[in-house]
Amino acid sequence: MKKFSEFVIKNSKLVVFVTLVLTLIFGFFLKDLKINPDIISALPQNDPDVKLFNYIGDEYGGNSLALIAIETDEIFNKNTIKNIADLTDKIKFLDGVSYVTSLTNVLDIKKGIDGIEIGRLIDEYDLPKAEKKLEELKSYVLSKDMYRDKLVSYDSKTTLIICRIDEDFNKIEVAKNLKKLISDIDLKGNHYFGGMPFQMIEMSKIVLNDLKFLIPLILTLIFLSLYLSFRSFRGVFLPLISVSMSTIWVLGTMSIFNVSLTAISNIIPIILIAIGTAYCIHVINIFDEEIKDNTDKKKKSINALGKIGIPVILTAITTAVGFIAFIFGSYLTLIQEFGLFSSLGVLFSLIISITFVPSVLYLLPVKSRLKSMMKSTEKKTGIIIFMDKFGTWVLNNSKLIVVGGVIIAIIGIIGIPRIERKVDMIDYFKKGSEIRNTEELMVKKFGGSIPIQILVKGDIQDPIILNEMKLMGDFLDSQDNVSNAQSVADLIIEMSDVMGEGRMIPDSKEKVTNLWFLLDGEDVLSQLVNDEKTEAIIQATIANADTKKLKDLVKAVDKFIESLDSSVISFSQSGMPLIYQNLDDSIMNSQFQSMVLAIILVFISLVFLLRSFIGGIIGLLPIGFTLLVLFGFMGYFSIPLDIATVLVGSISIGIGIDYSIHFVSRFKLETKKHKNGLNALQKTLETTGRAILINVITVMMGFLVLVLANMIPLQRFGVLIALTMVGSGIGAITILPAVILVTKANFIGEFSRILNKTKNHLNNIKKEKK
Amino acid sequence: MKKITVLSLIIFSISIFLSQGLSANNQISALQILEKADNVINAPKDQALTIKLVLIDKKGKEKIRKMSMLQKGSDKRIVKFLSPADQKGIAFLSLPKDVMYFYLPAFKKVRRIASHVKNTKFAGTDFSYEDMEAIRFADKYNSKLLKTEENAYVLQLDPKKGIKTEYSKLIMWVRTDNFYPVMIEHYNKGKKLYKIMRRSKIEKINEYWISKESEMEDLRKKHKTKMIISDVKFDSNLSDAKFSKRYLSR
Repeated sequence: MKKFSEFVIKNSKLVVFVTLVLTLIFGFFLKDLKINPDIISALPQNDPDVKLFNYIGDEYGGNSLALIAIETDEIFNKNTIKNIADLTDKIKFLDGVSYVTSLTNVLDIKKGIDGIEIGRLIDEYDLPKAEKKLEELKSYVLSKDMYRDKLVSYDSKTTLIICRIDEDFNKIEVAKNLKKLISDIDLKGNHYFGGMPFQMIEMSKIVLNDLKFLIPLILTLIFLSLYLSFRSFRGVFLPLISVSMSTIWVLGTMSIFNVSLTAISNIIPIILIAIGTAYCIHVINIFDEEIKDNTDKKKKSINALGKIGIPVILTAITTAVGFIAFIFGSYLTLIQEFGLFSSLGVLFSLIISITFVPSVLYLLPVKSRLKSMMKSTEKKTGIIIFMDKFGTWVLNNSKLIVVGGVIIAIIGIIGIPRIERKVDMIDYFKKGSEIRNTEELMVKKFGGSIPIQILVKGDIQDPIILNEMKLMGDFLDSQDNVSNAQSVADLIIEMSDVMGEGRMIPDSKEKVTNLWFLLDGEDVLSQLVNDEKTEAIIQATIANADTKKLKDLVKAVDKFIESLDSSVISFSQSGMPLIYQNLDDSIMNSQFQSMVLAIILVFISLVFLLRSFIGGIIGLLPIGFTLLVLFGFMGYFSIPLDIATVLVGSISIGIGIDYSIHFVSRFKLETKKHKNGLNALQKTLETTGRAILINVITVMMGFLVLVLANMIPLQRFGVLIALTMVGSGIGAITILPAVILVTKANFIGEFSRILNKTKNHLNNIKKEKK
Repeated sequence: MKKITVLSLIIFSISIFLSQGLSANNQISALQILEKADNVINAPKDQALTIKLVLIDKKGKEKIRKMSMLQKGSDKRIVKFLSPADQKGIAFLSLPKDVMYFYLPAFKKVRRIASHVKNTKFAGTDFSYEDMEAIRFADKYNSKLLKTEENAYVLQLDPKKGIKTEYSKLIMWVRTDNFYPVMIEHYNKGKKLYKIMRRSKIEKINEYWISKESEMEDLRKKHKTKMIISDVKFDSNLSDAKFSKRYLSR
């Protein structure tokens, strides 16, 4: 460490120069940074369920449905029909839309005057205009299961244009083009955009807006709290400059490696701003302490950096470890990316804090510090007097603190089983937002937009198999929450009916293939059956993604599959419910795995730092306490575990442990210096305790700002992290010393011996006062 | 010096000759070219042929279907599928005024089918029912001569008012020597090129020109259909009875 400090201070000008150049380079790449709000793309590609889901998407025209709902007083009106026909025509030729289905191009199978008609519901070259024709069309459409509540709502006030987005295209771009198409057409009535692709447009907008709004706000808040704490130019601007730089570095790196910003990794700048300031604060603090005048500045600087270097490095490492835990313990690649780049960001913050910051501090004249700062270090100011009193209180009430801590922890534990889990994307948006309103409309009128698919393997033209597919479709429709089950079996039944054979699957394969021939080449077929007719899908939609309901559905479908004859046919379940279930399981697993991993890694670092096993355990206590408070809080205040709040556990271990490290290492140092335990504790609280308090307040404010975010997971994340900061900060300056006092742990030094002395000393003072 | 003058004179006269030749060709109007092309295609009084359909998907996988076709004039046609086995016997009959019947052997039933669905693909091929219609382009399209290439006139065909078509325009290459249309680019209503038909193996049988191999490529779906014609018989005086519902089921 000494050599490192010497190197930095001696080459301070070079360090500053290199740092600035690097920032410029990374900043240059920042412009290429992309946003990808697609959660599906973050699913692990080697998971068999994800593979199946993607396979179905590739083979059957895409898993993403973009839904355009048109709402007027009466859909069956010549202008509306004309609008729909024009739109359908335009959408058909839009790149990236593999299929579009609407009233004006949907396949219709019906008995005609003297034969059968297999064609379009509406002749696009001869749109109905006369009232009578429109009336006829309306009663025909509403009488058919194929259309009612699928394409047109029962009240004929709403109709859908359903677009399947090709998996090879950027779904957001396609959705944007769809929106543009519609804004170019003079549509009568209201229109809504539903389904994942449109939701993703909103999501990326929100992600970007949140960043644009929140980052300046957080910087301002931190600016204020730094100013109030340090009241010096360097104390305010150095941390701000260095966190900005580390943020630029990490976002630049993401851009260079072509990694997009996601709904999760957009937290990275906020986290870095909050954490990065802490490292700077500690460095600035020690420089303020060590260097009071210009004499022997170089030596003092090297000395200061040498002192603070190790704890800062350790805190950074433990924080990074908290993030690294996500790389191994996560199901979603976006969380792995988040882990990777957050830890990289922490590393960058560390590097800047122990190179750039001390260099600047060394280069700046001591004078630039404000007078009040000088005074405040000489005289005991409010906060220090408070800390001294606080130290005495802790010393006297150590047992009470421990008991209090245990009680709070128990209350927390009781709350844990109440924690809910949420995986639905719609839950990310605020109630009353456009997306949620649209989704509610879709659910009310059309039974939702979340796809569920059953992949069928076998000879699809075999009547036995078609009958089983029909059974499966009926089963799906009979489930609560599920509607619009459709498969090729329905089309064959429809064909059989118009041939005069009745509403049933024909009794021979020859008949099926004959009927099939007439459908050959229809768009709808390639969305339901593969070319070789060895595979087909049964698809349906689901209203909402309540985790428990989804799990029940997945189970019920699997059970039904088992009950079917599997000798000639195989069914496999796919679709969002299964994916959501995996996501849900994975959230639990990655929560558990990453937390255990983080605790182990942090414990190892603590043991190394303190060179004591017991010390490691005691050091973990404040964070353990905080975690229980955190999860209890989530339980009592119904904050669900989602893809953002799942991050909080490990992050709070990584960040929260810093307070323990700083506290313990300082306490150890002071215990060596002071014969008196109280003095050691007071000195630690005055210095490190003060830094911790400033840091807790700063970081807490930074994260609390997230409450103003538009993304719900971000809001929850902010509240929870703020809570853990307070918990682990307070824990570090109360529970930690209290436990050390109660257990008389000797890793601190010859602590127990001095402790008794101190107690006696205190008692004597009390007696004297009396 | 002399040599050069002679040479330049030769070049000059050649160029005059060429330009005269070209301008002579230019005097043919777009409409005349199109009518001649229509005449060439629709020349036979009747025709009987076997067609092999090769459906090629984007991965290059092929599917083969065979059918026999009888056609009388330009508006009576009967098509019977010969293979694959599960489609054998399925037959279509097209009569004037958009009247169309089909026969399904498994049901032993003849049904009339409404044929207003022009943009539906024919039997899973890249040819739509519209493409399969025997039509005279000059009746449906206005024509414009875009340019004259070495071997072909290039026409732009725009649909006449009131014509129902899935195309916004066609670009047609018509051979200068025999007026056989060798390539047609089909533009969709989004004004984008989406299907290309190419005709090759153009031979003269009896006095009629016929393309023994035509191919339709769907650029969007990256799917192709080849139509290979064999056993061609022209003007064998097919009787009207062959184009009846009764003959359909035989």
